[in-house]
Amino acid sequence: MVNKKFLELLKKYDFSFIGISVAIFIIGIINLYSATNSSGNLRLVNIYQVQMGWFALAMGVAFVISLINSKSYFRYAYAIFGFTVFLLLLVLLLGKIGMGAQRWLILGPIRIQPSEFMKVALVLGLARWFKQNCSEGVMGIKELIIPAIFTLIPTVLIILEPDLGTGLILVLIFLVIAFYRKLSWKTIAFISLIAVISGTAMYHFGLKEYQKKRIITFLNPQADARGSGYNAIQSKIAIGSGQLFGKGFQNSSQVSLNYLPENHTDFVFSIFNEEHGFFGSVVLISLYGLLFFRFLVMAKSVNSMFEAITMIGLVSIFFWHTFVNMGMVMGILPIVGLPLPYMSYGGSSLLTFGICIGIATSISNSKNIF
Amino acid sequence: MFGEEQIVKAHGSRVDLIANLFILSFLLILSRLWYLQLYKGNFFLRHSLENQLRKETVKSPRGMVFSRDNKLLVNNIPRLDAIIIPQYFKQHSIVFKRLGKILNLSPKEIKRRYSKGWGQERFRPITIKKNLSPVEVALIETENFNLPGVSVKTFISRDYLDGEVGSHVLGYISEISKRQLPRYRKRDKINYKLGDFIGQDGIEQELDTRLRGVDGYEFMEVDALGRMKRHLEDSELFKGITNVDSLPGYNVRVTLDRDLQLVAYKALEGKEGSAVAVDVKTGEILAMVSRPAYNPTKFSEGLTAKYWNSLVNNDKRPMRNRAIQEHYSPGSTFKLFTAITALEEGMVDDKTQVMCPPTFRLGRRVYHDWKKSGFGKTDIYKSIKRSVDVYYYKIGAKLDIDVLAHYAKLFGFSSKTGIDLPREISGLIPTKEWKKKRNGKVWQQGETISCVIGQSYVLVTPLQLAMAYAAIANKGTLFKPLLIKSIFDNDGQTIKKYEPEVRTKITDVSSKTFDIIHKGLYKAVNEPHGTAYWFRGRGIEMAGKTGTSQVIGMNAKKLFTKCEKHPYKERHHGLFAAFAPANDPKIAVAVVIEHGCHGSTAAAPVARDIITKYMQKYHTEEYEKNIELGKRRAKFLWAKQKKLDALKAAKDGE
Repeated sequence: MVNKKFLELLKKYDFSFIGISVAIFIIGIINLYSATNSSGNLRLVNIYQVQMGWFALAMGVAFVISLINSKSYFRYAYAIFGFTVFLLLLVLLLGKIGMGAQRWLILGPIRIQPSEFMKVALVLGLARWFKQNCSEGVMGIKELIIPAIFTLIPTVLIILEPDLGTGLILVLIFLVIAFYRKLSWKTIAFISLIAVISGTAMYHFGLKEYQKKRIITFLNPQADARGSGYNAIQSKIAIGSGQLFGKGFQNSSQVSLNYLPENHTDFVFSIFNEEHGFFGSVVLISLYGLLFFRFLVMAKSVNSMFEAITMIGLVSIFFWHTFVNMGMVMGILPIVGLPLPYMSYGGSSLLTFGICIGIATSISNSKNIF
Repeated sequence: MFGEEQIVKAHGSRVDLIANLFILSFLLILSRLWYLQLYKGNFFLRHSLENQLRKETVKSPRGMVFSRDNKLLVNNIPRLDAIIIPQYFKQHSIVFKRLGKILNLSPKEIKRRYSKGWGQERFRPITIKKNLSPVEVALIETENFNLPGVSVKTFISRDYLDGEVGSHVLGYISEISKRQLPRYRKRDKINYKLGDFIGQDGIEQELDTRLRGVDGYEFMEVDALGRMKRHLEDSELFKGITNVDSLPGYNVRVTLDRDLQLVAYKALEGKEGSAVAVDVKTGEILAMVSRPAYNPTKFSEGLTAKYWNSLVNNDKRPMRNRAIQEHYSPGSTFKLFTAITALEEGMVDDKTQVMCPPTFRLGRRVYHDWKKSGFGKTDIYKSIKRSVDVYYYKIGAKLDIDVLAHYAKLFGFSSKTGIDLPREISGLIPTKEWKKKRNGKVWQQGETISCVIGQSYVLVTPLQLAMAYAAIANKGTLFKPLLIKSIFDNDGQTIKKYEPEVRTKITDVSSKTFDIIHKGLYKAVNEPHGTAYWFRGRGIEMAGKTGTSQVIGMNAKKLFTKCEKHPYKERHHGLFAAFAPANDPKIAVAVVIEHGCHGSTAAAPVARDIITKYMQKYHTEEYEKNIELGKRRAKFLWAKQKKLDALKAAKDGE
């Protein structure tokens, strides 16, 4: 009986999200293997196996989550949001005691990074709030105040860790959601103005020295080619030297000669480009595009505002990670440590993307199954 | 109130806008990729290749130096040193520790050596340990990964096979100094860098550009930490960049004979002085040794402060080539030139007999003969044979110094010989004009009297003396000294051949005059009472002249006390100049022993040893014949003596 029901479920199950994820991950794991097994750095030789473990776990989580009724997300959205903010506070507190930067919560053998999960929690929180305060018309600055506070609390906590990249991602997610919720063009212009002014102010007063350096480096990498501009230049060299078809699997000289640091986390895309060239990138970007397309189609076809906004929020998580990471490694954005979905090494981020996929699948399934 | 579904539908336009935003972003990314990979792809490929490359200079092996008898004098020996390049040096204290373990040095010591290179350019290697053992090299190579910035470098050190022998002629190489840098860059049009070795003395300096060759370079693959990975072949490099082989320097063959060098060096043992041997017929330098000397090998190995100080803070001045960079009063060896002048000017001839008392007086000044009792009646032969001072004083009293200078200069005095060695000095033959210019005073005839016996202002270098005696030996051809026979490459191909060069063809001196001088010189060595008779040697027939030159002015009493009793620095210099064989001269030798007291005891044996070796080696038959003749003569004399003794005994018996 249960089996039959389960088979029924599988028949109607939306495998598109998981399918595309697996496709990207396969490219990612091959690339990761290449990046870590030709550098001669023994410490990294086995991390591709670890990554595969994490991915299996992430997809497992995605599958389990996808079976949850999407209405439950609505119900527990604030609770999830509140709990994750609490975890962020905890991290900050423990970090203070431990002196220095702290992004991790250590629970026995597992280290989790609450800032990763905060992205999803924020999406759910905002989705619920917007559903409960929805209307058809355009939205002005007034309606934006409370969701802005929603966003700013975790953002500030994360920036304090300090993790500027993830903090900014939260703001960007918020902005996409707000845009979807028919933010008036006038308000958009106003916010842009505020952003420029506050950005300038923040640069002068709010940023740490190394963060400022990153921005200067972005604007002129040659200024300190051996120091902070080093990554930017080496990354561009890696990408550019790939040309049309790349140097081939495991033939990245920039990696094998250790020119690119962090080549298994933030800079995987440069390695991918060096080895597989423009052609490889077109394939990879198409896959990302397909994934995003799936999200957007869902956002248009769901019935509830909560589900639509969740879809928009989730796709913006993916999008901003993808865009910022690619942009920074090829020198059109400053270098902030953001992983490329399914390509970069890192358990927490894989898990986050798995959760996103799970929720999306659950929402997609709810149309057919529930 | 609309249904929620309618509201979601109403938001569809915003989803489309978001989709457009995504598409735009991806287009931006793709266009950037197109720009980087396709438009500027070659540029970045070049960069990525250059990134991995380090241009390593390949030092050209310096040319070798051979002697005339084809013996290797200067060789190159590769040596492996451990170096650190500061540019790539990371994790200092850890690497110091690791390296210390390998090299068996304390980390502190390594740090000390490393810190010596502070302040220089960061890409210049700092030598940590020289001359590594194979085990040390292997350990550094295998630990390469853990030793960023450390590598093993090949250096070519110069080996002077005979050590100190002839060091002044061969010279040495050492790192170019900051002061030399701009000058040498301009001179050689080579972009020297600090750390480059250049020739600093002798042939090494004189033929530096010939010997040094042209450095090449090769490209090494390195990683971001500057660790060498491997050598790259041309085919692996991209267009416009190739490895360039170094061009080895040319080899040089010098005119020196190694055996003569060794003999001369040995004969000068414990002395301060120099010896020069010249081929009479070509002007080739067969031997040139100056002692004390230095060991040039130590310079290229990297000079220790201790050794350097022992060289420069040494009042015996071992860095100086006494054969060309020091001049002496020639003393009686100069009398020949006075004799030639007197003969040519008709002041005396070979039959003129001059009364020679112990002293000669000019005005108030009394000139002593070296022999307290004087010589009595003296002709030109006797004057040379026994070195009669008063004979020459009498000439000097009547001689115009400018006339003497004219003849002396014909023999190359008072000007550089033009030998291919650095820092030669020219010596001095005074003239009236010279004195006037020097201190505004008029020439005194008394000064001429000192000059005719090679004292006073007359100064000659040993090389000048040897060349002048060679000109006497060949009766009138003054050669430019020839030190380099040829320059040839490693395939034996001759690049440049050096030919003998005549400086002056002396036509002002008749062959009759030369004959007289030859005869006098022969007597001085080979007849009893000749000044060098006791040092004439066996199997060689030298013709030569001793000389003793005063270092300081002495009164008569002091002059006649035994020279060896004076303080060392006040003792006379001993000189000897000769050629051999007397009847058909082939080699001319000049020897100066500083503070050697007598030309005969100090200098003549050195010349005798050199000439003996020369005759043994190059004219073996003649030498052996002479030995045989000498034996027969001795036998004959012995028999004659025996007969005389017998006669005497018979007479006594009667």
